[in-house]
Amino acid sequence: MIDAIKLRILQGDPIIHDVKNASLPKLFRGLPKIENKNCSDGCNKCVEVCPTNAIKLNPVTIDLGKCLFCPLCEEACPENIIHFTNEYKIASGTLDSLLVNSEIEKISVERASEKIRNYFGRSLKLRQISAGGCNGCELELNALSNVNFDMGRFGIEFVASPRHADGIVLTGPITQNMAKATEICYDAVPNPKIIILVGTCAISGGIFQDSEMTQRKFLAKNKIDLFIPGCPPHPLTFINGLLDWLDKK
Amino acid sequence: MISLQVQNNQRFHIEDIQFLTQSDFYDSVSEGLSNGYRMIGLFPVDKKLKHKIISLLVDSSSSSIHIIGVEFQPDKLEFKSIANQFPQTNYFECELAENDGFKLIDHPWLRPVRKQNKILGNKPYQFYQLEGDEVHEVAVGPIHAGVIEPGHFRFQCHGELVYHLEINLGYQHRGVETMMLNANQQHKLILSESIAGDTVIGHTQAHCGVIESLTDTQVGLRAQVIRSLAEELERIAMHLSGLGGVANDVGLAIIAASYGRLRTLVINSLAILCGSRFGRGLFIYGGVRFDFDDSIINQLMSNLEIVKKDVVAINNFLFSSTGALTRFENTGIVKNDVAQEIGLVGIAGRASGIEGDTRINFPYGAYRYFPVSLITLPTGDVFARARLRALEIDESLRFIFEQFQNIPGGEIKSEFGNEEPNSGVISIVEGWRGEIVHTAITDDTGKLIQYKIKDPSFNNWYGLSLALRKTAISDFPVINKSFDLSYAGHDL
Repeated sequence: MIDAIKLRILQGDPIIHDVKNASLPKLFRGLPKIENKNCSDGCNKCVEVCPTNAIKLNPVTIDLGKCLFCPLCEEACPENIIHFTNEYKIASGTLDSLLVNSEIEKISVERASEKIRNYFGRSLKLRQISAGGCNGCELELNALSNVNFDMGRFGIEFVASPRHADGIVLTGPITQNMAKATEICYDAVPNPKIIILVGTCAISGGIFQDSEMTQRKFLAKNKIDLFIPGCPPHPLTFINGLLDWLDKK
Repeated sequence: MISLQVQNNQRFHIEDIQFLTQSDFYDSVSEGLSNGYRMIGLFPVDKKLKHKIISLLVDSSSSSIHIIGVEFQPDKLEFKSIANQFPQTNYFECELAENDGFKLIDHPWLRPVRKQNKILGNKPYQFYQLEGDEVHEVAVGPIHAGVIEPGHFRFQCHGELVYHLEINLGYQHRGVETMMLNANQQHKLILSESIAGDTVIGHTQAHCGVIESLTDTQVGLRAQVIRSLAEELERIAMHLSGLGGVANDVGLAIIAASYGRLRTLVINSLAILCGSRFGRGLFIYGGVRFDFDDSIINQLMSNLEIVKKDVVAINNFLFSSTGALTRFENTGIVKNDVAQEIGLVGIAGRASGIEGDTRINFPYGAYRYFPVSLITLPTGDVFARARLRALEIDESLRFIFEQFQNIPGGEIKSEFGNEEPNSGVISIVEGWRGEIVHTAITDDTGKLIQYKIKDPSFNNWYGLSLALRKTAISDFPVINKSFDLSYAGHDL
């Protein structure tokens, strides 16, 4: 007993009290900042090195739904136009707002409809489906329940059964072998329900977008409520995305 | 035994491999396996030409890898199974049949590895079934209760006792090996980071090993040390996570939360070093992308000092709790002889008394100059697997603090050339879970024609099945967590 109390004291106060203003290490690669400069003539280097075709030119635009947050484009650019900042608030409700160019300074999540906020604003239970996720996103989602991030304090939790859930959190590019299970699981969630895509693989297929072993019809059939980009997304990206979407303080 | 003998990360020429007749091949492989060698691969030299097969055997005592080739008639791909005699080859043979269309002769247990049912002519796989009064079957998955990867488990029970567990995987199959052949260089490196997201450093270390040896790239000592530091950070982080998992599965929430807090410190340290909590982006061909400076070292040191100090108290609490020990001891046992027979590797192997650690038996990178100690435990139960991980955390911390004392100077990146033609390299790395093997082979233009990945989970999933025999089904979660295997790494 006394040892348990000692252990609790040892824990100290590890929780991140202010999840909206926490700062991440300098090298953390989050929201890219694109300088309003002209590319050198005919330069195509960032487009060439990008492993997922996330970059378009004229003007330079990075699609965070495809971006792996590897620093290859930043390194390749001779004009130093692209910089990754440590800004982690990059979740969004639409794919369009994940397109970052020199005019975009921040990405904000549009508030969910009043109906959704009334239903889920105070308590949101989510069923996670890993459909080909490499365990990177899964580990970060697990980290949301640890003592540092403690997502439960906001009324958001992962549950075991889809019957108890208000929506699904999907990771991975959706492999052929998981396509059916994903459908069955989603169907088992009672209405109204939401879909959150976590990680670049889920949003666009990511590094596996050209794989023949994926089957992404599920995404075309259903409306996606929230996109959480990253490879894997930082837990704070997920928390802030949901808090802003549900308009929680 | 006729074989081509190479070392870890040593480039060899394809023409040096002798392709034997089938009877010579079976004799050589059987001789090797009888002498205590272990199989780490069985696949075609060229993914498109199925009839030329190589088998890779490792001999830990002499740190050598033996490549044994065999040629079949292209229109008669029939492989005579040796799995009845050497059970460790069973799954490799299933993989050969599934990937390359071989017909297995006298194989004891043909089952799908990743591509459901393909191996059985698109007929559904029939699980083994127990018959009789009061027997029942429990089916779990592919989607499990927690936030974890998918896989299907089928238990055959009599009352509480499990008589047989079959594990059916492949749900995570993304086609990584095929994609490796077509990807460009940068793409390959990032792909290797996504083989298993919990072993980013381990798999990229192995991937860089093969590509750098194929291109005759020398990696500077400073870069090698940074790589090893990252590898040990990953090991500590995942061991803390695993220990938290077993503690949670026996209901010790305070312990699980405490390990979780320390794990955050460790993965945040990785983020300080390279910007990613899992070490993504750290490795480049020829070295590492990010260097240390004094401020980074100080931040890492202060984080790890906390881990070093606090983990002692947490371990003491866990391993002196009667409640935990009754659940851990004599639960989910894999005895040493069984572990040898089925070829367990990594933490599961060492917890069953197998003296195998790639960092020691096939040293690579910085481990050639700065060795680590081998830790084994004899009992092969949940206790051994958990305790071993606690001990390995101590050893990894010792290694890291030793390196911090004296980090070699020099460049962190070296020049990087083109892949040599008609060559192959086998790279073995001790990921936190165990032995990771990457094999790459090039054609006469230097393009990859085979890229084979073996995660430690490929060997160890069967160990989990056997550990469940005659065990209460309620002990499954804690046994499963003590093995802590990868689905993505197995499914590729």
